[in-house]
Amino acid sequence: MQGKKIKNGALESALNTFLAEKEYLVMGFEKDASNVYHRVFKDSLDNYALMSPVFATNGALYLRRLFAKGAQIILMLRPCEIRSYVELVKLTQIEPENIIAVSVDCFGTVSSKTEGDIPAGEALKGLTKDAEKARWACANCRERRGVVGDAGIRIDANGDYWALPYTDKGQAFLSLLEGETSEAPAQMAIGPAEPRPAFQIDMKEFTKDFSKCIMCMNCRDMCPVCYCVDCVFNGDEYLPKGDALFNKVFRAGSTGMPRGKELFHLIRMYHVSQTCVGCGACEEACPQGIPLTKYFKGVSERLQGMFSYMSGRSKDEIIPYLTFIEEELKDAED
Amino acid sequence: MEDRTAKNPEIVGFACTYCTFKASEMAGSLRMKYPEGVKVIQVPCSSRVDPAFVIKAIFEGADGVFVAGCHPGDCHFIKGNYYTRRKIAALKELFDAFGMKDRLRLFWVSASEARRFVEKVTEFYNDIKEKKNAG
Repeated sequence: MQGKKIKNGALESALNTFLAEKEYLVMGFEKDASNVYHRVFKDSLDNYALMSPVFATNGALYLRRLFAKGAQIILMLRPCEIRSYVELVKLTQIEPENIIAVSVDCFGTVSSKTEGDIPAGEALKGLTKDAEKARWACANCRERRGVVGDAGIRIDANGDYWALPYTDKGQAFLSLLEGETSEAPAQMAIGPAEPRPAFQIDMKEFTKDFSKCIMCMNCRDMCPVCYCVDCVFNGDEYLPKGDALFNKVFRAGSTGMPRGKELFHLIRMYHVSQTCVGCGACEEACPQGIPLTKYFKGVSERLQGMFSYMSGRSKDEIIPYLTFIEEELKDAED
Repeated sequence: MEDRTAKNPEIVGFACTYCTFKASEMAGSLRMKYPEGVKVIQVPCSSRVDPAFVIKAIFEGADGVFVAGCHPGDCHFIKGNYYTRRKIAALKELFDAFGMKDRLRLFWVSASEARRFVEKVTEFYNDIKEKKNAG
């Protein structure tokens, strides 16, 4: 594939040229001594970081909630964030017209809850093999390569950075960079992920894990693809109450409190099953430390596998529940 | 004589008003019997059933849930039941991951198939009853 090799500092100067225009923005990461976090830059890049080794939230969340149309934005985010962005574009939650999405290769991240120094250099490159430090979601990530969105920033085996275009908007992004296009190496530092076995769990273990849930619904609020404004769990209309709660208690003999947490999590698991990117923002937001990613990622991979679909891979793939093939799923009927 | 100590399950069914619900009415007018534990809910099309309804029914006390609609290709709204098939097949996969696949079924029953409706429902009821009383 044709791409541009990025010289030292060329990317920052390209983005600064872009920002010199009126109403042009760059969304990326800012670093300080102890942390790295999302930032929207307007006039120039200060303390800019290309990669963020700390995961607190998924950047696509801000695009659907906070930004109106109008400004030109370049996103310089992780592959999981760009994948959520692609899914939200398909769900018509984001207007993609003025946005150039650039996915940057990711070496994995640590949780924003962990204490201590943020990993850098060699420690960062081997992060995903270090199960102690890396987040579970990153150690089992499906796509760490910057191969999604309009363009990608890839790192080759020698540690050089490459910019690769995937769409016309990606070409426009590349034209900001100085230098000539040349053939990019096929072998990059980060390869494709290995497939994981199908998710299978006992209901007892599910109950045990979720017994800690306090129904704060932070997981729903911080999920980038759980976008419904009128969620069925707003208020308590959907949860058993009054007669329905008595009915539940008398039938089952007992009920866990807060009631309806299995209901909440299973329904959410189904609703995001085709769009979940497995970023682990839900687990990051959970105050109780429930291993949510294990469930949501496992279920979504299994359900996406049924339709050979992968969330956020391409804007042209239709979300499976919104389409059908006449001759399929012959064994669905009992 | 029926065993009175046996636990009787409750089954919730979502039935398309144009076919399966008509079939259940026809079964009634033909004096066919199906278990009284089966509660049929009329929906305008089987694709109206959000899988959330099924999960809610199961976690609020139903022992089994079935979703029933027209045969593929016969939908009153042209293609509703194709969407149902995808959604319910995916929901079954979700239930399979949690080891409770046997609690959900999907039937295709047309308006004239009263006998088929009774057979399918009775078979499902008996399977659930057997499991409920075994453990």
